[in-house]
Amino acid sequence: MSKRKAVQPELYSPDNADNPALNGGRCRACGYVFFPPQRYGCESCGAPPEQLEPAELRGCGQLHSYATVHLHQGKDIEAPFTVGLIVLDGGPAIRALLTNRTDEGLTIGDRMSSVLVAAGNDQEGNEMVEMRFARTEVRK
Amino acid sequence: MKKHLREMRPVFVVGIGLHRYQRLSETPYVTLGLTAVREALADAALDWRSVQSAYTGTALIGMAASRPMLRHLGATGIAMAQVENASASGSTAFRQACIDVASGLTDVSIAVGVDKPGPVAMAPGKTRMRDLVGSRVVPFTHFALLTQEYMTRYGVSAEQIAQVAVKNNRNGANNPYAQRQKAVTLEEVMAGPAISGSLTRLQCCPVGEGAAAVIVASGDAIADLKIDRDRAVRVIASVAKTEQVYRGAKNFDAELTRETVEQAYREAGIAPRDLDLMELHDAFTIEELLYTEAMGLCGPGQAAAAIAAGEFDVGGRCAISASGGLLAMGHPIGPTGAGQIVEITRQLRGEAGVRQQPNAKTGLAHMVGVGAVCVVHILQKGA
Repeated sequence: MSKRKAVQPELYSPDNADNPALNGGRCRACGYVFFPPQRYGCESCGAPPEQLEPAELRGCGQLHSYATVHLHQGKDIEAPFTVGLIVLDGGPAIRALLTNRTDEGLTIGDRMSSVLVAAGNDQEGNEMVEMRFARTEVRK
Repeated sequence: MKKHLREMRPVFVVGIGLHRYQRLSETPYVTLGLTAVREALADAALDWRSVQSAYTGTALIGMAASRPMLRHLGATGIAMAQVENASASGSTAFRQACIDVASGLTDVSIAVGVDKPGPVAMAPGKTRMRDLVGSRVVPFTHFALLTQEYMTRYGVSAEQIAQVAVKNNRNGANNPYAQRQKAVTLEEVMAGPAISGSLTRLQCCPVGEGAAAVIVASGDAIADLKIDRDRAVRVIASVAKTEQVYRGAKNFDAELTRETVEQAYREAGIAPRDLDLMELHDAFTIEELLYTEAMGLCGPGQAAAAIAAGEFDVGGRCAISASGGLLAMGHPIGPTGAGQIVEITRQLRGEAGVRQQPNAKTGLAHMVGVGAVCVVHILQKGA
């Protein structure tokens, strides 16, 4: 039976959620919130791994900058594609691919939301999904 | 009590040498490095046997690069080590050589930068911390993001930012050691090919091969070895720092540059207006604007106007990247930071020919590197 799987399961769940969350971390000692998650020690205050706990970060934030990549050497994706620098409402600034290939219609300051998009199938036939961001649709 | 460099024994640059920065060739790294070292020895009129320690700034060649190269100058048995600090490798090798002389461990030391492009194992990729984008965001896209943010915040156009490449290629055209030695027009820069965001090919530095060498000496050595004191240039500040936690989407390279340069100004006892020239990490055009502002040469959002007014040209109030900078002279990684010291020394001696900044007395060298790390030196004539 084929399943739905995340390309980066350590960073987000493959469940078909509206606005999927990101797996971040928080330091119990100083409150610092970070992404990606890690279990080495707190970059802000130096607290040891025991003080670090998982923190779900809502997939919502503000577009801080964007760039359309015209030249890419990797074979995993074809240029052009567009990268956004997004400050999550939960604190960390992250970089993510946007759903649109070009920057048409984007404005710095736009509200952005996470979405899971199809990323082909793995060798067992599982449906792979990867996280991207898109401008938040204003609901009527 | 800790001391900074200026409170220790004075350190002087007494010899400089380069091998031209160029596209990858069949030339062995040994030949590249030896060319620069022999030029530096000849420049100082020094024998290799006077050099008491050697640091090789290199990031790409591989383990144990120094002795297989330097033994061909005569194996004198001196201390040698490689210094890897990403793009700041050559700057850090120079800092180590300065520290040896300042502390009194040696009287004469050399920093060599040498590299050839090749496959490289990046440690940050081995931390098992992966973000969403991975290798889909390479340095040029990191800087394309900063470019878009800057244009939007300050209402600056892509053409105004591209002027950095016009200025630095004009300087590179006058530097026989530069990888790109051809003046370009704004139209040529803008014509592409497009790389990422508004950055075009000529707004991204070439990464090739080359070498740079800098010999530093104490005042005692200058007297004992009869080195020309009039051509010696004193190192009045050496500061190395690394990134701290900056909240939100703050540009860490600019913040780190601000902190490092402020400390260097304090230690040297100078202000930004005292700088006659500067070599900075202009791997991408946007960086020159961000760093000149972070260094206090002009206010936020004003760098593009300052460049348009010629303030950072050779002959302007502070010549920036008179060598051509990373954009035109090139960025072979290991040599780059040492090559900046070569250019500043040449300028402060008044030996830079057609690209000479008039009456240059004080110069600053700045590199940032993956990490992020930042290394800054300030040199002064007659200090």
